[in-house]
Amino acid sequence: MQKISKKFLLIFSLAVISAAGVVWACGGGDWDESEYSNFSPEAFVDHQYSPFFYNSWQSYYGSDFNDDSNTRYNQQVADEWNVYLDSKIRQKDLHTLLFKSSYAEIDSSYRYFKGDLKILPDSLSSLKSSGLTKKQRSTFFEYLLLAKKCEQFAVSNQTYYWDEKVTFVSPEPEVNVSLLKAFKKSHDPFIRQRYWFQLIRYAYFEELPALNADSSAGPDQSGLVTLFNKYQKSFPKNSMYYRALGYLAGHYYKRQDFARANYLYSLCYNFSSEMKIPSKWSFHPQDEKDWEESLMLAKNKEEKITLWHMMGIVQDENRAIENIYALDPKSEKLDLLLSRLINQIEAPNAEVYRDSTTQIKITKEDIALVDRIALKGDIKKPYYWNMAAGYLHVLTGDVAAAGKFYRQAKQQLPANNRLAEAQYRLLNWNLYLSGLKKIDSETETEMVPDLNWLADLRDQKDTLANLRYQRALSESINLLSRLYKKQGQLLKSECFQTSTAFYVKNENIDAMKSLLGKTNQTPFEKAMLRYYPYDPGDLYYHQGLMLVYQEKTDAAIALWEKSGENATFDLLANPFNGRINDCHDCDFEALQTKKYTALDVLKTIKAIKAEIAAGKNLYTNNLLLGNVYYNITHYGNARVFYQTAITGSDATSPMDIPLEFRSRFTSSAIAEKYYLRARSAAKTATQQARCTFMAAKCERNDIYNETFNDPANEKKYYWDIDFTTAYATRYFADLYTRYRNTAFYREVIQECGYFKSYVNGQ
Amino acid sequence: MLYCVLLILVSSCKDRSTAHTAFYFWKTVFQLKPGEKELLRSAANNRLYLRFFDIVWNKQELQALPNGVIAFKESVSALSITPVIYITNQSLQQTAPSGIDSLAFKANRLLVRLAAENGIVYKDIQIDCDWSVSTKTRYFAFLRAFKRYNRKKLEATIRLHQVKYPERTGVPPVDKGLLMFYNMGKISAALNVRNSIYNPEDAAAYIAALPHYHLPLDVALPAFSWAIQIRADKVVQSYAKISLAELSNPQNFEQISSGSLSVPAFTALKSFYLKGVYVKTGDVFKFEGTDHEILAAAAKQVSAYLAPLNNRTVIYYEISSVNLLPLYAKDIKEISAHF
Repeated sequence: MQKISKKFLLIFSLAVISAAGVVWACGGGDWDESEYSNFSPEAFVDHQYSPFFYNSWQSYYGSDFNDDSNTRYNQQVADEWNVYLDSKIRQKDLHTLLFKSSYAEIDSSYRYFKGDLKILPDSLSSLKSSGLTKKQRSTFFEYLLLAKKCEQFAVSNQTYYWDEKVTFVSPEPEVNVSLLKAFKKSHDPFIRQRYWFQLIRYAYFEELPALNADSSAGPDQSGLVTLFNKYQKSFPKNSMYYRALGYLAGHYYKRQDFARANYLYSLCYNFSSEMKIPSKWSFHPQDEKDWEESLMLAKNKEEKITLWHMMGIVQDENRAIENIYALDPKSEKLDLLLSRLINQIEAPNAEVYRDSTTQIKITKEDIALVDRIALKGDIKKPYYWNMAAGYLHVLTGDVAAAGKFYRQAKQQLPANNRLAEAQYRLLNWNLYLSGLKKIDSETETEMVPDLNWLADLRDQKDTLANLRYQRALSESINLLSRLYKKQGQLLKSECFQTSTAFYVKNENIDAMKSLLGKTNQTPFEKAMLRYYPYDPGDLYYHQGLMLVYQEKTDAAIALWEKSGENATFDLLANPFNGRINDCHDCDFEALQTKKYTALDVLKTIKAIKAEIAAGKNLYTNNLLLGNVYYNITHYGNARVFYQTAITGSDATSPMDIPLEFRSRFTSSAIAEKYYLRARSAAKTATQQARCTFMAAKCERNDIYNETFNDPANEKKYYWDIDFTTAYATRYFADLYTRYRNTAFYREVIQECGYFKSYVNGQ
Repeated sequence: MLYCVLLILVSSCKDRSTAHTAFYFWKTVFQLKPGEKELLRSAANNRLYLRFFDIVWNKQELQALPNGVIAFKESVSALSITPVIYITNQSLQQTAPSGIDSLAFKANRLLVRLAAENGIVYKDIQIDCDWSVSTKTRYFAFLRAFKRYNRKKLEATIRLHQVKYPERTGVPPVDKGLLMFYNMGKISAALNVRNSIYNPEDAAAYIAALPHYHLPLDVALPAFSWAIQIRADKVVQSYAKISLAELSNPQNFEQISSGSLSVPAFTALKSFYLKGVYVKTGDVFKFEGTDHEILAAAAKQVSAYLAPLNNRTVIYYEISSVNLLPLYAKDIKEISAHF
């Protein structure tokens, strides 16, 4: 059996690995990038770029970012005010005032401080103890009152609900007048710059409807541009400045001046982590001409690099790397692009899902570019480029070239960087596996440390945040299992990856039991067994289970007594009961005076058989045996009896039971045998009728089994198979002709529509 | 025998067609260019099927909500409007069966409000949904509830796969259906495949079941084109805004010359931005579209199989792309006359 991840199922085959391809099967739903990746961007790229790590299914990678336009700057704004107000307002009150309070609450608070009101609003009662000076109070509250009015048009909830009409709130001209007055009056640079920002934002929203209606560029006489240009030099280039710049960019965007807009967005992107997401989101070169113009607008090398970096994230990593590298090989803006390039190449895609022989496609341009830069080595993190180049070569199957790059990388690894070291170790292990053609005792010894390390990572005994090891883990167990299988070493193959077929042969299981029980296991055996999921108890249970269906009860009991907790769990229902209509849930809910464990069931079978051998209660005892052997099949109320990790524990249809065990767990032959014996021993016609009907259920199950297993139905859904007239005719005919006058017959007619329709057809 | 009857129908219909022409408008801001207005008037007597809003599942709010609600930039008073609502399968799948009735109620309330605010008087409503076996029950419940709240005539779109397997996908409980006679195949990265918008071979596989469909059917025909961008043998996206003329620019693209191609295809010679689309060296663009001739063939093919119906509406999807094909009022009238 595969080790199946809930989110995503990976299967790596030997043939495919050595050919450097990957086989994928989609388990449905979303997945985590780390499931398919060997290459962790976190090991190489600055954290501020993490939302743009390659992500195959979401806009942004990870969860460590705020993508809400209404709140993304809140913390920054609060921090700035806190410094400005000399921390005289408690953080909580400051947040409330800035982001939660209504206009009225702010107004009341201000009036309280001015002495016009006696009490503060409830939500702000602790403001009383703030130590603001009179000047700080008036500056802060007067700004806040105006800013609150601006929120009406600047902060909006975009979701359109059923019950409301989202209308565009036009900025009121009076607000602009007040802002302008306050701006001219204020001399404090902190406050003055904030009013400047508010004025620019006002201007943006004021002109927005007109620009939305007609963006055809006439002469740009916007007050926004004038306002920005006139005062921009008077303020520091801080977050307020760049947020104002963002609105200027928006203005040009709406006027379809994409060259200028994209250039300005790139400046904002470069300014801070908070501005990266909105700037990247807005960055849309339209035609090659405007893109070239954006580049011309860049004032220096650094600005050009940012532009290329952004186009690289959005469209073309290769072209961007080439251009940035030409401008400055040491630029840190290369890092993100390289990680994206690699992560995209190794990611699965729809074609690979459909056709497992599809190889990962790596263009020669990509590999040549990374090779060239890695070989030149004049970048900031040469180990990163060498690892990337090596990994690309592993993916193309060129193990020798990969080895060279990795050896370089090892020399260059930064000191005390556990993640980079682990990343190197993982890639090197991946390379080792790619070159592995045969396993002998020497290679086994070589593998011990890494096998243990991977198992430690899996078991969280070694934790390295962000290291993507899941793919290496799956690849390792698949590859080793297949190699051993190829070498005829089934036992070792089974340790790395279990298969149902292994458990059909008793000698396999015995061999595994001795390996597990070996007192002097080699270090390799110890490491290998960390990948084996079963313990001896599981194996004893399985061996016993096989004997149960051969009616070797005593031998099965002996094995189960060694199986630990496997045989001592309570069954959900009494398996000695039989009913006209199978209803597992009814049986589960029925009052159970005695709970049976699996082992109890066997011991009870043994006791019943002893009574039968002594000639006692032949009808009842045989009926009980019929019931219990019926219930431990797929059709009975004790499926958990045979459902284990080895035999498959989640089959709801007989078709889901592994082929190796299907007939064993679906056949009602043993039950039928005992029902017929019970019928022979029966004393009344009603008893005989009951046994006949129970045998009919077994006959019907045979029809199910035959139909489900019929190759002609292989491609059909179970609901497409029609059983409505597939009657258990052998026993139904008996019931109909011989027992029509019994009470039980009438009961059956009442309960079983299937039989009733048979009778109606007679 | 049936074949003969159909032949007679085809030959006779063309002379005395009772069909009406209409156009779809599928954008979010209602504004028509002068050419579009003229086309709408002369070819369709101002009949417009106007998408009012979509109903989509909102993952944040965990409820089905309206999306892309139409904003009117100009008056529609001169037009004869049929409101259209598009509902996604996901919003049906995610809405609990007990919530379907209220979804229909809210959808109707919004539709009524939008119509009232813009002075739209309408006789029919069209609901567009690519429902599947798994959403059938909820979708049909939605339609029944909608009809209860809005007594107007209700029409539902019918896709070709739904015509072919009505016993599986069911027939919606509405007054009439609108057969979408396009999107015959999957958008594919392969070059040697047929036009996915319309081709007679794929269409033939579906239309045999048409005469027996249990609803009177209007027809929608494809009046649009798109360029399909293919990179490393995978479809990147399709773009209606990229025209054949742009792909034919030898500075940027080289046409792939192969006799076996049923649609033109081009290879990009360099990496560059084009109308907001990033083109990479080696990208392949496949151009799919329709024209007068193709639409006439489509009309001829489908009309031969439709059960007879007076005053059938033939809707062209969609008005803003008609000029690009180009298609003229005269062509459109001719095509509609097949019904």
